[in-house]
Amino acid sequence: MANKPIDWSPGNWPKLLFDLFTSFKLATFVLFLMLLVTLFGTLDQVDNGLHKAKEIYFHSWFINETMGNIPVILPGGMLLMLILFVNMTLGAIVKVRKRWRGAGLLISHTGMLMLLAGGFITNKFATDDYMALYPGMSSSKVESYREWQLEIIPLSEDGKADKAWIYPTEVLNTVRPDEQRVITTEALPFDVVINGFSKNAMPIPTSAPMAAGVAGKEVDGFKLSPQKSAKESEQNLPGAYVEFRPDDGSEAIEGILWAGSYYFDPREKPMPFTFKVGDQLYGALLAKKTRALPFEVRLDKFIFERHPGVTTPRNYESRITRIEEGQPDKPVEIKMNEPMRYEGYTFFQESFGPAGSNPGDDMYSQFAVAKNPADQWPLWALCVTGFGLMVHFIVMLVSYSSRARKKRSASAATS
Amino acid sequence: MHPAIFSRFLAIPAAAAILTSCGDSSDPTTLVERELTASEKSFNMVETSRERFRYQTQAPVAGHGDTAAAESGASEPKLTYDTPEGWEEKPGSMMRDVNFVFGEKGEGSCYLARLPGAGGGMAANVNRWRGQFDADPLTEEEIAALPKLALFRQPATLVEVDGPFAPGMGSTETFENYSLRGLILASSSGAVFVKMTGPKELVAANSDAFNQFVASLDVKTN
Repeated sequence: MANKPIDWSPGNWPKLLFDLFTSFKLATFVLFLMLLVTLFGTLDQVDNGLHKAKEIYFHSWFINETMGNIPVILPGGMLLMLILFVNMTLGAIVKVRKRWRGAGLLISHTGMLMLLAGGFITNKFATDDYMALYPGMSSSKVESYREWQLEIIPLSEDGKADKAWIYPTEVLNTVRPDEQRVITTEALPFDVVINGFSKNAMPIPTSAPMAAGVAGKEVDGFKLSPQKSAKESEQNLPGAYVEFRPDDGSEAIEGILWAGSYYFDPREKPMPFTFKVGDQLYGALLAKKTRALPFEVRLDKFIFERHPGVTTPRNYESRITRIEEGQPDKPVEIKMNEPMRYEGYTFFQESFGPAGSNPGDDMYSQFAVAKNPADQWPLWALCVTGFGLMVHFIVMLVSYSSRARKKRSASAATS
Repeated sequence: MHPAIFSRFLAIPAAAAILTSCGDSSDPTTLVERELTASEKSFNMVETSRERFRYQTQAPVAGHGDTAAAESGASEPKLTYDTPEGWEEKPGSMMRDVNFVFGEKGEGSCYLARLPGAGGGMAANVNRWRGQFDADPLTEEEIAALPKLALFRQPATLVEVDGPFAPGMGSTETFENYSLRGLILASSSGAVFVKMTGPKELVAANSDAFNQFVASLDVKTN
């Protein structure tokens, strides 16, 4: 029998598209591509580190990379998951014939859709920050591992301030190393000019041998040397040439800003580039993006145990107190694999410092602080999928038993 | 399935596309005001770019037996180390925290230097040192395979190279048959370099002294 010719007329396009997106072949093809993307994305972590590999392969619409000498041109993880979501919604939920025998599969497909939707929500809305505290210190903010912003701060002579004007991460990251960008605000009596921004850089004194090969402008005995992006992106320390042009037409002030002037230890304070316009002192700084918490965390005690005779840690845990509206809540212990979950935030015991501490030294505790509206979705999705498969197996078992019983009865009747 | 139902489900990719395009709509030409939290209201007012970029104007160095630091009562972290026998300590400089010479005419030298950040990167520094000896640069893989030696309890990359040594830095002189034995430790909190150079036989004879110096290096807070 000859195949029926396909009707390509525009009026039939919705049906053709519907057939394409509900096709089982499309689902198989997308799953195969996801396998490839997962493989390449995993291998790429060797060269690019976890964060960058995730951005390139899993949080992207298209991939156009080279791995070694192999070109990798594929649809990105985001596009593949979107197609799979549409395919499963239309094919396995909408198009499928609704009957009791298929109830289990319908439930399990719903679970898989929840997993995909949870991944999307995590990608778009989850935050991933940290908080580091010495015992006795408290804080109501968390800091980003890898997002930096430009801050201009009106300062008192003794280095105090109440507010800052920020140039947010999202726009700062769009400034190229060779780009000049002028930023104005009526609240400040000068324009801020960024003369190039590097996502990883290092200031080199012009007296150092390696300064000879650095092309940048010399400012106050230093040049800013752009660096290759670090494998672990949180190790990148951005830098920028900046200029402050007073509105009164007086001479512009030039400086180099570098993220290393921020602090690495919670007892340190940021070291801004300072300048005066009129009588007012200002500071400029590349600072980590911070997010305010709806409560305060005080570290009461940090317990750090080492293996005997060596500096390798055996166990470390923190005892903290949450403080809300000035009122301390009950103490909480945060240990490895025993995070604190509160008001949508999860505090994990992540690490400690300073690096190279000896027994008896003061040490700080660092928490990874995650906020993810879809935190528990993978668990729920797996429960729903598992329940659906269990229903399907039971339905199949009952159906098989019933058929076998009927067959036995029929053969008994005919024998 | 009627195509009309399909059109309803076009809403799914459309909604996803709209959601994924929900970026931050910050204006790239202006600044945004924000209040500082209590822990953000205080700043360290340093006077020079050198301090701001964590290059020490006066290296916080004290060798064993150095009483000056103890008398000062300073509580800043101090670099401590043993001076190998036969090595003579020279004053540090802007770029060198510790500076030694050795050999009959002081023709061998060893210094420790620190740089903030990654110090220019491991590969750039390894190959800069190799370039001073007219040696071919190494690939990232070859550099990763170089032997390691503990420096401040962390694995540092050991670089050894022989040949004609052209130190550069304004010097046009080339020293024939020289050797370099050096360590590079690069981490996010800073890079440390220990570099010994001198005539090949002299460097070989001082290899144990180099190891002893490296093993003795530590940072004390009081």
